[in-house]
Amino acid sequence: MEFALNEEQRMFLNMFRDFAVKEIAPRAEDMDHEETLPPDMLQKAANQGFLGATLPETYFGAELDGVSYAMLIETLAGASMSVAVTIAAHVSLVAMSILEHGTEAHKEEWLMPMAAGEVLGGFALTEPDAGSDVMALQTRATLEGEEVVLDGVKTWVTNGGIAGLFLVFARGPEGVEAFLVPRDTPGLTVGYREPTLGLRSATFHTVYLEGCRVKLANRLGEAGGGSVVAQRAMDRMAVALAAAGLGVAADAVEVAAQFATERVQFGVPIAQKQAIQNYVAESFIEIEALRYLVYRTAWLIDQGGDASADVAVAKAFSARVARTVTNRMVQVMGGYGYMEDYPMARKYRDARTLGIVGGPTELQFVRVAQRIFAGRDVEIVP
Amino acid sequence: MDFTFSPEHVALRRMIREFVENEVVPIAAELDREHKVPYEVMRKLGELGLLGVCFPQEYGGMGAGETGYCILMEELGRVCTSTATNVGAHIGIGAMAIYLDGNEEQKRKYLTPLSRGEKFAAFGLTEPGAGSDAAAIRTRAVREGDSWILDGGKVFITNGGYADVVTVMAVTDPALGARGGVTAFIVETDWEGFSVAREEDKMGIRGTSTAELVFEELRVPHENVLGKVGEGFVTFMKSLDMGRLTLGAACLGGAQAALEWAIRWAKTRKQFGAELAHKQSVQWMIANMATEIEALRSLVYRVAWLVDTGRPFTQLAAMCKMYGSEVASRAIDMTLQIHGGLGLTRDFPIERAFRDARIAEIFEGTNEIQRIVIASNIFREHGVRIRP
Amino acid sequence: MKVIVILGRVLDPRGIVINRRRGRIFVNREEYLLQPADRCALETALRIKDGMGADVTALPRGPLPDDDVLRQALAAGVDRAIYIVGRADSPPYDDAAWTKVVAAAVDRLGGADLVLTGATTLDTGQGQLGPRLAEAMGWPQIVGAWTVEAVDGKVQAVLQTGEDYVAVEADMPAVVTVLPGALKLRYPDGVRLVDIYRGVGEIAAALEQWNVADLMDTEALVPLLERRGQDFPPERERGTRLAGTVEEMAQAAADALRQRLRR
Repeated sequence: MEFALNEEQRMFLNMFRDFAVKEIAPRAEDMDHEETLPPDMLQKAANQGFLGATLPETYFGAELDGVSYAMLIETLAGASMSVAVTIAAHVSLVAMSILEHGTEAHKEEWLMPMAAGEVLGGFALTEPDAGSDVMALQTRATLEGEEVVLDGVKTWVTNGGIAGLFLVFARGPEGVEAFLVPRDTPGLTVGYREPTLGLRSATFHTVYLEGCRVKLANRLGEAGGGSVVAQRAMDRMAVALAAAGLGVAADAVEVAAQFATERVQFGVPIAQKQAIQNYVAESFIEIEALRYLVYRTAWLIDQGGDASADVAVAKAFSARVARTVTNRMVQVMGGYGYMEDYPMARKYRDARTLGIVGGPTELQFVRVAQRIFAGRDVEIVP
Repeated sequence: MDFTFSPEHVALRRMIREFVENEVVPIAAELDREHKVPYEVMRKLGELGLLGVCFPQEYGGMGAGETGYCILMEELGRVCTSTATNVGAHIGIGAMAIYLDGNEEQKRKYLTPLSRGEKFAAFGLTEPGAGSDAAAIRTRAVREGDSWILDGGKVFITNGGYADVVTVMAVTDPALGARGGVTAFIVETDWEGFSVAREEDKMGIRGTSTAELVFEELRVPHENVLGKVGEGFVTFMKSLDMGRLTLGAACLGGAQAALEWAIRWAKTRKQFGAELAHKQSVQWMIANMATEIEALRSLVYRVAWLVDTGRPFTQLAAMCKMYGSEVASRAIDMTLQIHGGLGLTRDFPIERAFRDARIAEIFEGTNEIQRIVIASNIFREHGVRIRP
Repeated sequence: MKVIVILGRVLDPRGIVINRRRGRIFVNREEYLLQPADRCALETALRIKDGMGADVTALPRGPLPDDDVLRQALAAGVDRAIYIVGRADSPPYDDAAWTKVVAAAVDRLGGADLVLTGATTLDTGQGQLGPRLAEAMGWPQIVGAWTVEAVDGKVQAVLQTGEDYVAVEADMPAVVTVLPGALKLRYPDGVRLVDIYRGVGEIAAALEQWNVADLMDTEALVPLLERRGQDFPPERERGTRLAGTVEEMAQAAADALRQRLRR
């Protein structure tokens, strides 16, 4: 077992921190209040190689290992979880799906522009009546010769506002299938943007597919292989989201610890009060446990194989840690924690979304339970 | 023991329920979105006598006691935390200080119009360096003939942006500190030297005004000293005790609303072939919520009864605020979880309730301060004096 | 001017669940509301009082088990309320029998210029009390008014017939029944509310209690109706879901409607 970062990883981490501190943190509050994500920031992230983080160098990717990628998302989330989730969705949900399941032609066409930030990826799985239940999808894919016609409504489409390429899931004749649908395809309309509690600079849209025609060649994976594509993508995203939770929790403790050092009540800095020390200490312990869980899960993904129970463990724990830690840190900052002029209120709102975005914690519990009861002659269904 | 509400309180709840359904529910989302204070609602509440719900009828009040006031706060908290906060700051701490320690003349002059909603009140305690630590107050009041000259300022003052009357705590004798050195004053906001410096942008309760107040050579006549000179700390602590109880009542309403939403959604939403109500994860959340809410309800109305029958209640009021705010936060958190994506979007009231609920663990003395109050009371009975 | 308003109560439908299969009604919360149409009658009476000054007295619609609706009326602003208690051993009064009680009470009160009540009840859907009372008193009646005004010894009202609104007028004394939803009842005054429910202050004396036996010979109160059981209307048919293109669905819907009309 080797727990130390190697030299390359340490170098990456410095680079990530530099970017987060210089480029994101100073604008994080304004971005959140205006609910926008400035294109120039994404372009700068692309220039650093972040938008092709885990893609191979052949496609101008940065070819980061899993742990480094987790550290990237963690560090970005420390400054702004919206930015972290936007980039993670682009990389983990869309670009990596193309790399893993796409044909050579798909890769040639899309991966380089995606790494360069010219095309951003959007992920269209959820529907009004099918949240986490992939089998309940209503969107239909009808085969017409060499073309496929897509009809249906997708909600909570991640990166819906900025994506140039959507990964759309629909029910075809042979089961769930995944298609690459460029934004300008006739019949695809990007509609309502969800006004959200947190992640306000990320965009979640409703996308309408009405007689939306794409080539059959745009199908990712085999006929009826869409649920595998979806499952793999969700697994990768779960690790990234777990890393984001780690980042937001760790940074919250930094901010609150600084505050507790400066805030004087009853004659002493509140850092000297045991209640505050307990909040900070308990949070720190949870963060450290989460940190190594996230890194290990990221490493596990790199090793290949089915890791869906492992990522569920990381995601569920991260959602809980992020929520409880930011909740405590709001408390440390008192009234200032509730004001939107300080970063803690935003971190608290952002962190809360983790229990739902990317699948609710209860569903992750089911996955973990399935692993525990596997081979014991009981069937665990959600 | 009798745990039923009296007929007047049943009728009062029916009246308030009807009022909030008609007047508050339709505007609650807009208050939050547009950052607006429910001024009209406050005025109507005043006309009906509800802003003086717990004050005697001779001062324009309704005389329904602390129990009546808790009912008002519970019903408001059920539909709109912002409105409840406006009302709580106005009655529960602003006007309450005048009711508790004002002399006859002050009550006639100030409490009567406050009870009728002709004027609005705020409570000026917090300063940048002094939240719950009253001894750290910097606002100074210096005697000059028949007047006092106030210099300094207050922050995070709920209703501060529109109040007509603010009860202000200021240092009158720095040598004596909190015990004997601070005095409460009734300040009218149109007096020269009073200004509102800014309004805060908050995560929740966005339908409230949280203002920074500045006093520059603000001249207050001596007759506006509230209570005795040097005893302001006692006045303010007594008001805060009352405020804490009714804040617990507002949290009870918020938690109850969360439970009702959760039940309604769990009955209708299908996932993996069955309604959420059939999932044990959801059943557990509902059962836990309902149990905590019942415990809170018993606590709140028991403390209201203590107040109405003149029994001591300080420690229990702190418990109401602390436990109430935590029950409400947990309940709304679980409801948000049960609603999934719908809980995250601002198109539904759950997202707002989630942001709103969080403040209750912070304001009117953080829950950490409440724990100190409770612990000090417990240890005092055992002969140990606790310093915060 | 003397106005009498007759008020009844109804079980809050939000507190009940109907199980058709078992033919039972489950009452989860036993809470009563002022009858919605009677609320409008009460508001009408209070507006007349506000507008031209009137002495408003509230009477119960039926032998109510408690005086809650009358206390509500007093809190909202009526001057006087009479709680009329029926004989415990008498058969349930229907509108025919109760009309005689109300007529006797109106006489005892020295008559009135205007009697207002709801045009219909939420639970039984009946609105007999108003017309029956007008017949018993020999007064003109206006049934189902949207608006009511009293001018120069006459009462003027607006009714709705089909799509038209019709203004009508009658000499007072008269009986007018008011439609539910015509007006929004004002909120009670807080002080009056607390005092009347506590039974203190001046307002407490405004609530009186009479017995039916004091008003009349109760042997004459024979109800016309006898309740022998209860039944439920059949469950509504389930709709059918149409499929196909918009045009096809529209055509199918139109055909179905035509067929239904023919039936």
